[in-house]
Amino acid sequence: MVNVELQIPARSPYVGVVRLALSSLARTAGMDEEALDDLKIAVSEACANAVLAGEEAGSDEAITVHWIEDGERLMVDIADPSGSPPDPDAAELDTGGFSSRLVMSRALLETLVDSCEIESVPTGGIRTRLVVNRPAG
Amino acid sequence: MELGLGVRNLDGHAVVDVKGEIDVYTAPKLREKLIELVSEGSYNVVVNLEAVDFLDSTGLGVLVGALKRVKAHDGTLSLVCTQDKILKIFKITGLTKVFPIHDSVEEATKQSG
Repeated sequence: MVNVELQIPARSPYVGVVRLALSSLARTAGMDEEALDDLKIAVSEACANAVLAGEEAGSDEAITVHWIEDGERLMVDIADPSGSPPDPDAAELDTGGFSSRLVMSRALLETLVDSCEIESVPTGGIRTRLVVNRPAG
Repeated sequence: MELGLGVRNLDGHAVVDVKGEIDVYTAPKLREKLIELVSEGSYNVVVNLEAVDFLDSTGLGVLVGALKRVKAHDGTLSLVCTQDKILKIFKITGLTKVFPIHDSVEEATKQSG
């Protein structure tokens, strides 16, 4: 089991830092480049959503990214202290008839990893859990 | 992490060559550049993504915003991209139906506007 926790300020320049750390962790774990590219986008989406939610809320509470790796899967938890769970009733399209950024973000999160769960946290905010199953053997 | 932005004119189009990573940090720089071009009267725009290593929903949001701006002037916004990892982002979000995506800048300037 490998556990790595990274705490970043809820500001946009630090999302790139998370990607750099993630690349290094994924390569150490033997993840192939295509799966890494997908995971990088999913983690960036969760972090970008957290940064934008923090900006909107006027909060500077840190974002925590927790990498957990075992024999069967890689799990990345992103704790977003200002985020809200997806609203199933929210409009999918903006006024111009295009998908809103959040809808596109959710499509990427749900497609690029094996599982994506977004849960409310009792202390406030949300936790996004991304899971990538590792090939057997 | 820097975003490189170069602008050139080709066959009546403003071609924006983007280099680097487009994410929540750098996307506002791309947005500013595209708004500037439209406000200066460039309504046929090609965004060249061939040297882009990373793109997320904030970058997509900027491209959609720019498309709306040029369309308000009966203009066009097309993209140049052949990288599978970037094309995948457009496919997942359904934007391959929204943007004309070309293999080269020359092809993009010939087929739009």
